[in-house]
Amino acid sequence: MTPTDPKSHAGHTHQHVLGVPHVCTSCGAGLETPLACGDCGTMLTPSSEVSPYAVIGLEVAYEVDPKDLAQRVRKVARLVHPDFFASAGTTMRALAEAHGARLNEAHEILKNDVRRADWIVRHLGGPSEEQERQMPQSFLMEVLEWNEALDEGASAPPGSTERLALGPLEDELAAQRARTLALVAQALDPLPERGSAALTAVRRDLNAIRYLDRALRRLRDLRIGQPS
Amino acid sequence: MGYIELNVLDNAPKLVVIGIDLGTTNSLAAIWRDGRPEVLRVEGEPALVPSVINVRPDGSLVVGRSARALAIEDPEHTVFSVKRFMGRGLGDLDIDLANTPYQVTETESKLVQIHLRGRVFTPQELSAFILRAVVQQAERALDGATVASAVITVPAYFDDAQRQATRDAARLAGIEVLRIVNEPTAASLAYGLDQRKEGTVVVYDLGGGTFDVSILSIEDGVFQVRATNGDTHLGGDDIDRLLMGLARQALAGKVDDTVFQDATFQQAARLAAEKCKIALSNDPVADLVISLPELRVNLRRPVAREEFEALIDPLIERTFVCCRRALDDAGLAVGEIDEVVLVGGSTRIPYVRRRVEAMFGQKPHTQLNPDEVVALGAAAQAEVLMGGRRDILLLDVTPLSLGIETVGGAVAKLIQRNSTVPCSVKEGFTTYVDNQTGIDFHVVQGERELARDSRTLGRFQLKGIPPMPAGMPRVGVKFHIDADGMLTVTAKEESTGTTSSIEVKPMHGLTDGDVDRMLEESYSRAKEDFEERRRVDLVAELGTMLRHTHANIGVAKSRLDRESFEDLTDAIAAAEAAQGSLDLPTVQAARDALDRATIPLAAVLMDDVVKQAVSGKKLSEV
Repeated sequence: MTPTDPKSHAGHTHQHVLGVPHVCTSCGAGLETPLACGDCGTMLTPSSEVSPYAVIGLEVAYEVDPKDLAQRVRKVARLVHPDFFASAGTTMRALAEAHGARLNEAHEILKNDVRRADWIVRHLGGPSEEQERQMPQSFLMEVLEWNEALDEGASAPPGSTERLALGPLEDELAAQRARTLALVAQALDPLPERGSAALTAVRRDLNAIRYLDRALRRLRDLRIGQPS
Repeated sequence: MGYIELNVLDNAPKLVVIGIDLGTTNSLAAIWRDGRPEVLRVEGEPALVPSVINVRPDGSLVVGRSARALAIEDPEHTVFSVKRFMGRGLGDLDIDLANTPYQVTETESKLVQIHLRGRVFTPQELSAFILRAVVQQAERALDGATVASAVITVPAYFDDAQRQATRDAARLAGIEVLRIVNEPTAASLAYGLDQRKEGTVVVYDLGGGTFDVSILSIEDGVFQVRATNGDTHLGGDDIDRLLMGLARQALAGKVDDTVFQDATFQQAARLAAEKCKIALSNDPVADLVISLPELRVNLRRPVAREEFEALIDPLIERTFVCCRRALDDAGLAVGEIDEVVLVGGSTRIPYVRRRVEAMFGQKPHTQLNPDEVVALGAAAQAEVLMGGRRDILLLDVTPLSLGIETVGGAVAKLIQRNSTVPCSVKEGFTTYVDNQTGIDFHVVQGERELARDSRTLGRFQLKGIPPMPAGMPRVGVKFHIDADGMLTVTAKEESTGTTSSIEVKPMHGLTDGDVDRMLEESYSRAKEDFEERRRVDLVAELGTMLRHTHANIGVAKSRLDRESFEDLTDAIAAAEAAQGSLDLPTVQAARDALDRATIPLAAVLMDDVVKQAVSGKKLSEV
């Protein structure tokens, strides 16, 4: 099996998604996922460039319906999961492992608002997090303040004023995260122009969310109990 | 059907695939038969095989019930709870080793070694003996069918080294592992098939040595784990240990302190604690009884349920920290849980049930036997893997984050915990000096920020990088966690396309060479070990039969015809002589002869009771 060249199948009725194979090389049926044919069950071998959206048969868009996503993932999992190839040969088992991992990676990206936004920014030629490191001075001052409160709360005994102050701080940071994420959603829907300045703004918001998430993770661990 | 049809000839051995729950305290097997999973048991025997091993004076091994029966008599050579040693080093085992009557050491690669009668065993080897005993019992229950392969369960929170150790144990036992499945996930499968319900389910699994909590959503026949958490050192053993502490307190000052170090005392205390714990599930007060005249120990310490509950409360609290973390990782509130399923023998404790009910705001589901549900789920998963059912699918997760040590000792997370498996991630590496041909990297598992606080999964050595100026090579290393939850690492130098080789130094694990050597040794030992186990079982059975017979010898004398009575007395004499025999055929023949000779007596006794003839009944069945 070789990756299908979509151009050789001109005139078909299925959508093109990012140059992904769209018909089965074995039986010619239309594909919902480039990983395997839902009709004849043949495992296909698309190039590693296939986008996470294409893996589960979606067009690139920021908004993803979680229910639809879960349903699609289950459907593809039924075609490629290693459990269905446990008594097949070594090659098929390895292919199922690889396809299963690709499906799960796509799912991880698509179900997570931040990872999805990050993928779209890169996909549209926007800056990576390493390229856009500048954060406004005022924001960095805020970060210093939380971390100070966090350090004090973490070293104080449970029930102390410093520790109790972490409750409102967690609420505040969670609210700030929600506001920032709403800005990201607004900027990415509809998708901005490739390489536009809007992507840089989204990247900054995503970077801010990373700072917020790190603090929220620590707050959560303190509230629930340290990970072992 | 869980069968592979290999041969249509009637006398060809039937090959079967089974599910095995390799537990800390007990192990058992189940099979898929007639559209449902079924626990495998030999008629008249319990299905559970105690996960206990005893080494006899002649160096042979006894496993299961017979080994457990030898615990007090021969404590120095009886190993319980070997699962807690799997994939662990001595540094992880402080609590477990505090009361261990046998010597435990560690190799350079931090592999635990247990010394018993001059022989050295790894936890993998001892687990292999348990697995073999379970398979032998399964094969007897299946009228001599041969177990071709198995699904083996492990705690969900087992790390890579612990999973690898389990896989190696199966290899040493000569079992092909079809899949390693997480215990709570297997349990959810059994529950889901039994109840035919969909929704969000919490599996609370408190076993003999480990605690797991998994949160799953069951939809369209897909069992998707949303989050899992746990503690691989928290279970019934720890509850026993608390009760043993009570016993020691009660005896302090009354007996010599050295008694507490005595192996017989330790095993007796352990069994007394377990008995007391089990009794407290039914009674408001139960006694901790240790009676060892030779050590001048005579303890009867009443334990009230309230005292017991206060004692174990901190352990239950620890399980709830795991539960809250799992809920948080799954992004779920308690109110969104549709059902809580209890698994593991320790969930029989009423206090555990009460606390779980309060924690989740609903009565937990307890209709399934908590000892059997994991094996049943494993059998169901075996059926899926054999292609028998395509309507169910388990989507499991990796319990711990995977990372590599970076400059300065920090951990760079590559795969987050609770990622669905299989999953892969690719990471680029390069060289620091010109013409460097190798790169070392340190892979860790866990949630900690610093490598020194994390568990080492392995140290990998990349070799065969083509000589180039520093920073030029682009080595892509792929980390893949497979459907068994186990890691494989592959590497490729991308500028030239050379495949670099990777050498792994396993932590707490066996190399392939170790496994091969042990396999070779065990082949020569296997027959002896099996025969010895069978002999010990038969001698125990002989004892029971003789007791029954002696109890009724008066009836036999007055009611049996002369010939039958003489047959019986001959058989008794032969059986008594055979009790001390080390030769399996002799013991077997004596047991069979006694069995036959007691049939007339059984008939007489039965006749007395119900006034009806019983033909072919044996005394032990009356």
